[in-house]
Amino acid sequence: MNTYASTHSSGANVSQPSPEAVIEQVQRHLAEAYAEELFNTVRDKCFMKCVTKPSSSLSGNESSCISRCVDRYMEATGITSRAVFNSIPREY
Amino acid sequence: MDSSRDTAELQKLLEQEKSRAMLNELVNKLTSVCWDKCVGTPGSKFSSSETACLSNCAQRYLETSALIVRRFTSMQQ
Repeated sequence: MNTYASTHSSGANVSQPSPEAVIEQVQRHLAEAYAEELFNTVRDKCFMKCVTKPSSSLSGNESSCISRCVDRYMEATGITSRAVFNSIPREY
Repeated sequence: MDSSRDTAELQKLLEQEKSRAMLNELVNKLTSVCWDKCVGTPGSKFSSSETACLSNCAQRYLETSALIVRRFTSMQQ
């Protein structure tokens, strides 16, 4: 019945997943949440920058603007990320 | 076998994940705010002024944050 215990060698504590397994699941959920947040943000930012007068279809200009926008936003993320990590005092 | 040791270990790992998550949130917020301030129409690369603005913006934002913490702290004294 307990398939978790049968596929994991640490038979002693059958009802508790290991700390590592819990953390792995937490990290997966977080990664998913971040991907969704990033998607939503980029979509909103790039729509705002590139589609200033919505018409009956996306023009070639609008499409290329959106592509460039996505690339630039990822680049901007790198720049701010470096600023944050450079501001953390070095740990022992 | 020792579930209290597991709990302590889990606690420690969760604290690390929490720190990482907070850092991630900060980066996301910073990018969003500084993008609005610094970037015009997206080109095939950033101009040097856009790059400088983004970098400056991030640092100034962090300094602003620290300043506000100090301000609130001194208000409570």
